[in-house]
Amino acid sequence: MTSSRLIVRRTLLLWIMLELFAALQVRTAGGGTLLVSWLRAVVLPVEWSADRLGNLAVDLSLGTRNLQRVIVDNRKMRLELDEVRARELLLREDHIALREVNGLALAGPGFELEAGSVVARCTYRDLAAGTMEVRTAVPATIPRDTPVVTAEGLVGRVVHSESRRHWLQLLNHAAAAVAVQTEDGQVQGLAMGTGSAELRVAYVPRQAQLVRGTLLVTSGADGIYPPGIPTATVFRVRESDAAFLEIGAAPSADLGVARVVLLLPAWSPTSTGETR
Amino acid sequence: MIRIVLLSILTLVVQRILGMPGLPAWPAEILLPAVWIVAPPLLHHERGWPYHALFLGLGWDLLLEPIVGPGGIAWTAASLSMYALAGLVADRSAKAWVGFGAVCAAVVIVVRHLALLPLGLAAPLSLEHAVRSILLTALWCGFVGVVVSLDLPARWKHYKARRLR
Repeated sequence: MTSSRLIVRRTLLLWIMLELFAALQVRTAGGGTLLVSWLRAVVLPVEWSADRLGNLAVDLSLGTRNLQRVIVDNRKMRLELDEVRARELLLREDHIALREVNGLALAGPGFELEAGSVVARCTYRDLAAGTMEVRTAVPATIPRDTPVVTAEGLVGRVVHSESRRHWLQLLNHAAAAVAVQTEDGQVQGLAMGTGSAELRVAYVPRQAQLVRGTLLVTSGADGIYPPGIPTATVFRVRESDAAFLEIGAAPSADLGVARVVLLLPAWSPTSTGETR
Repeated sequence: MIRIVLLSILTLVVQRILGMPGLPAWPAEILLPAVWIVAPPLLHHERGWPYHALFLGLGWDLLLEPIVGPGGIAWTAASLSMYALAGLVADRSAKAWVGFGAVCAAVVIVVRHLALLPLGLAAPLSLEHAVRSILLTALWCGFVGVVVSLDLPARWKHYKARRLR
């Protein structure tokens, strides 16, 4: 059995050698021997495969590098996208603020923009404490007690100013007080902050004709605020044993949503009193 | 041994002569050297490395083929197939010579064609030619088998001995 296998193996080897020897004698159309063309046929695919594998390795390397770049670019673009989104939000806010400024420019009810007025943007508010921080576009010196208004009405007054940052005392501040009157000037009073969202209007005589929904504007009697600025709307009127009515009013300006305010540093009681 | 070699060479030369122009085509289709492949297994020779078939094939290639190699493959294949067949068939009569000759011719024709195929030198295999070649080679081997079974040298010796008496 072993010798049979040996004979078969030797015979196969012999046949292969004889076939190769025969191929060495055959000439191809190109002039070379068939054996060489066979060797080429064996080597070429290997060479081709090696070449392609090399290209594949290079491509993979490039692809990996490019992928890393793409990942980095993607991260950068995401950051940029987030930045753009943030800017968009800011622009929206700016747009809304500009609309509010436009509302101011179109002359609010009862007052007009004066030369020297400064537009400021609200950056922080604390309605419970009755304070607000606003910022101007450029550093500005705003005198203390400068009136602050929105297109809807009076907001409060400046209590501290520092470069671009200015702090306001809002109408609802517990210590705030504004001299107000009805639009026809028949009823006068003092709107005082309560520390909450509503104002208390004091010193209105019991015989005064005042109903709910009446608009109160600044009278200018306090020497701080110019007259005619919408300040509050009466929503509650009560009579008591006291000499004055108990009146509750809501500020005309929505202090919670105001984005842009107008500072009126150029106003002075004497000059304005003459012009108005 | 030398006699066998000389006879083998003579067989190849005759094979070439049979294919010479002017002679009919069919004698060239007889594979005369097939007897040297068929004879060893049928005459109870031990199976071994088929050197004789290799040299016979190479001689065939030198004399009858354009290149050397395929003949060696074909004739060694035929030799191995003969030894394999001899292990399966017990008959050693003239009929066996005919059968072995047919198988030998078939193997040589097919293997030679297969060996030439990768070289681009193989002619289309004609079934008619193949069948005719197998038949003629089988008859040739059968004839040799009959001659061998007659044991002519012994008869000649016996005849001469009777005449001397």
